[in-house]
Amino acid sequence: MNDLQWIQAAKKGDEDAYAHLVRRHSGGLHRAVARILADDTEAWDVVQMAFLKAWQKLDRYNPRYSFTTWLYRIGTNLAIDLLRSRTSRERAHKAGTEHRLRLVGAGEGAGTRADSTEATNVLQQLVRVLTPQQRSAFVLREMEGLETAEVAEVLGCSATTVRNHIFQARKALRRELKARFPEYLPASERG
Amino acid sequence: MNCEVFREIIGSYVDETLEEGRRLWFRTHLRECPTCREEALRKEPSLLFAMAPAEPGEPEAVEACAAAVMGRIRQDRLERRLHRRRRPWLAAAAAAIVVISGGLTWRTLVGGGSGTLQPVVEAQADSELQNSPPSVEVEMPGEGIRVYQFANDEDADTAVYFIVDPAMEL
Repeated sequence: MNDLQWIQAAKKGDEDAYAHLVRRHSGGLHRAVARILADDTEAWDVVQMAFLKAWQKLDRYNPRYSFTTWLYRIGTNLAIDLLRSRTSRERAHKAGTEHRLRLVGAGEGAGTRADSTEATNVLQQLVRVLTPQQRSAFVLREMEGLETAEVAEVLGCSATTVRNHIFQARKALRRELKARFPEYLPASERG
Repeated sequence: MNCEVFREIIGSYVDETLEEGRRLWFRTHLRECPTCREEALRKEPSLLFAMAPAEPGEPEAVEACAAAVMGRIRQDRLERRLHRRRRPWLAAAAAAIVVISGGLTWRTLVGGGSGTLQPVVEAQADSELQNSPPSVEVEMPGEGIRVYQFANDEDADTAVYFIVDPAMEL
């Protein structure tokens, strides 16, 4: 069965069908939200809230859009709300928590010289220099591989705005990476 | 040839002008080719993030998430049904019991032996209860939940509620 068939069954009150959707999509949604929040544990709370909200609004789901995009929209909005509600003190406290963001091909080439734990900490701190919208757009586009139109749908903005968020995010990350973590740059760039 | 093409399109990938189909190829090649990765990061350090893997969630965490979501959905449904009966305090009590029990073990109220029911709320003496057989207030087939009301004939304002395993008759 595809997502739409599971959704139709869930709309009729089949909770097992909805549980199937939760199992199918919670891992991916968690990965994206954890990258946006830079916090694994908090991300699971957001994922649960997103699925509860989706269940409550299931009648309003428009099959014209993919279930994943709709779900990412709910989850990302919750994550953005959470980021905005954090105080600066809370943000500082969160630094160094267990966010996992591993690189592939560890041990080969520039940017993968550090082990995954070091890379995790670096990337976690770098992502904190971005605004919630920039962070969400960059994670969904660059790390999750969503298309621009999908990111625009998730964030409820235009494709042009998404490109602008990506541009600003890349600029800030480039600057931070060079200033704070030159060891992760290619040897020719370290100076 | 692939590497040559890759290096030609690094700029358009970064500028967001590369078509979607080629972006996927670019990202795959970025992960797989150490030489091109070196070149790409030299030109644009933020491409480091494009190499983050798409790991699936851990099965235990996914299952725990599904259990929590579905448990909450069932709890919400029970609360709504009880609220509709205009007894919010009962809904709160029922919700608390559902959370505590986790839907695993329900003990019965009467019947003797190992199946002796344990009152959730301190109730009237048995003799009083026997005067007024319990009535089923809320029945939730498939949920393992049934709410009974015990009323005292001599005191219309008093009612005591229990939630038990419906499979075990009073």
